[in-house]
Amino acid sequence: MMRKKAKLISLLFIIAFVLIVSACGKEETKEDGNKQNDDSKEEITLEFWTMQLKPTFTDYIEGVIADFEKENPNIKIDWLDVPAADLDKKILSAVSTDSAPDVVNLNPTFASQLAQLDALVNMEEAVADEDKDKYVKGAWEANRIKDITFAIPWYLSTEVTLNNKQIFEEAGLDIKNPPSTFEEAREASEIIKEKTGKYGYFPSLDLSLVLQHMVVNGAELTNEDGTKAAFNSKEGLEMFEYFTELYKEELIPKEALTGDQRETIDMYQAGQVAFFAGSQFISQIKENAPDIYKNTVPSEAITGNSGKKTMSVQNVVVPKQTKHEKAAVQFALFLTNAENQLEFSKLTPILPSSLEALEDPYFTEAPEGAEASDLVRITSAAQLEDAELLVPPMENYDELRQSMYDAISESMLGKLSPQEALDKAEQEWNEILSK
Amino acid sequence: MRTNKITPYLFLLPGCIILGAFIFYPMLQAIWMSFTDYNMITEPEFVKLDNYKNLFNDELFWKTLMNTFLYLICVVPALVIIPIFLAVLVNQKLRGIAFFRSAYYIPVVTSLVVAGIAWDWVYKENGLLNYMLDILGIISEPIPWLTSTDTALFAVMVVTVWKGLGYYMIIYLAGLQSIPSNLYEAAQIDGANWWQQVTRITIPMLMPFVLIVSIMSSIAAMKVFEEIYVMTGGGPLHSSETLVFYIYTEAFDRLNMGYASAAGVILFLLTLVFSIINLKFMGKDNTK
Repeated sequence: MMRKKAKLISLLFIIAFVLIVSACGKEETKEDGNKQNDDSKEEITLEFWTMQLKPTFTDYIEGVIADFEKENPNIKIDWLDVPAADLDKKILSAVSTDSAPDVVNLNPTFASQLAQLDALVNMEEAVADEDKDKYVKGAWEANRIKDITFAIPWYLSTEVTLNNKQIFEEAGLDIKNPPSTFEEAREASEIIKEKTGKYGYFPSLDLSLVLQHMVVNGAELTNEDGTKAAFNSKEGLEMFEYFTELYKEELIPKEALTGDQRETIDMYQAGQVAFFAGSQFISQIKENAPDIYKNTVPSEAITGNSGKKTMSVQNVVVPKQTKHEKAAVQFALFLTNAENQLEFSKLTPILPSSLEALEDPYFTEAPEGAEASDLVRITSAAQLEDAELLVPPMENYDELRQSMYDAISESMLGKLSPQEALDKAEQEWNEILSK
Repeated sequence: MRTNKITPYLFLLPGCIILGAFIFYPMLQAIWMSFTDYNMITEPEFVKLDNYKNLFNDELFWKTLMNTFLYLICVVPALVIIPIFLAVLVNQKLRGIAFFRSAYYIPVVTSLVVAGIAWDWVYKENGLLNYMLDILGIISEPIPWLTSTDTALFAVMVVTVWKGLGYYMIIYLAGLQSIPSNLYEAAQIDGANWWQQVTRITIPMLMPFVLIVSIMSSIAAMKVFEEIYVMTGGGPLHSSETLVFYIYTEAFDRLNMGYASAAGVILFLLTLVFSIINLKFMGKDNTK
């Protein structure tokens, strides 16, 4: 009798467990006909995710949403702001459980990974040609992988160098002629170190920035069809040697090797570094270190043999899982239209990806009594013509950039010579590219 | 009578359901995934033992495994032994002792991200630690604590120990307070000094707690992640990368979920083995 009861109870446990498990499980069937006809006036709600825009831009985003809802009374926008560090993981788990939002603000690197897995709407097909032409060409093309344009560009930035006038003066350097090439950056760093004991240059080398430096110095990353590494060249070697020497001669902080941009900005704000590429941090410096901000003089990006400058793109994507693709693309276009982008750009040091918005005098003329943030904006916009996305979306990008980062680290730490490290990276790239 | 037989099981039911849904099901799912090629978006593809074969041929996997063992060897003894002395110290009946108990516990409730950033400042080339060592004349030039392949892992270990001391101290404190005071009184009558009381009464009576702390700290050391993520990102040159960090990178940066699951299964087995060893050797006397 006792045994029977125990068996019954065990059976109950198993049934409850199976029920829970199946409730937690992924839905196997997905409605095929879920692409609702958004032309109908039936009320729909779009889920929109942004990357860490609250609370600074709450009013702005809510304003854009209100305007869109006014124009489209049948569409409601449900806005969710996600911390930047969590967004990739959250979107990934949302996509994997068939619960992706309809519109998402996503960086190109991660978006390209999703695009490779065919998880994002192809904007080449979803957006009309006349709308495509409204965006900066380079920014639109920056989101292309395998003939798929996986995103609509939202806002841009080009690299601008921030220089600490006080340190320049202490070292007897002319702030009107700040370093504009890698070689000048090295010379200035030597003088600054000698005269002030501080660091001149702090190039952050975390992950993809190594690849950007390679391209800026004139190295090609891969051959034309992307099947073989092409950076094992004079220019590539120069770049490895350059950073290895700077590191060994202690002309850049040791943290350049392991630190992310937070380290760089911390040291600049503490007045320990004379110059770095950090236009996007100008508001932060103004708030955290007003004295350093007052002494900050922006200048064009430091470049190498190629003369190229980095452009960064922030995107809006529409996951394929959306049930309202047409409305989602419509909202993405509204969010990134000239008027909304111009308004956004006036709140923070970014550049619009809309050609019309870029024509505004706000990006071309410095106001009277211009301060550092104004100069950053003007300099950044002026560079846009020469700037490009230096590292295009690539398959297995994370492995490629990690391999290059490991190689330059081995060279800087003296484990391998620059040439040996470059050879090693080339071999690894060829293996990854042939997958 | 009938109701009484079922009642205990009904009390267990909610716990079993929660454990089943949030522990056992994901565990089984991970084991299944470890035999697949899965990227979280497209359907998983069964690849038999390929993930395990690839893991065993991956140099980085072995390196992170070694780092994890190193972590275990260095961190666990510190977390088992030091808190005993802290607990003995804060167990004194002195005025204001509650302040010290709280002070030692503060790191436990401090966010690891905040702690990581604060320690980052301590370890910087021109940070507090190098400054202090310089003043004391111990070093002539700054030590790159977090940027040298020789020191990065150990520097992070210190943070793990610092953060865990208070937590384990509280466990020991509970243990100390459960020791009957008449044992100490009897020992004093017999003429035992403080040290003899600690070694003959306190430590033996604390053994069940040592076992708990040993298992808990071993598991904590094997799944260390946040400190590394915040302070070194696994660098330089993967010198501070542990197995969990490796799993995280493979899963979420490279979307190799099946491969990461295989590494996760290995971590699970290793943790299980360590826990069994702990129970076998340290739990022997306490099961009597």
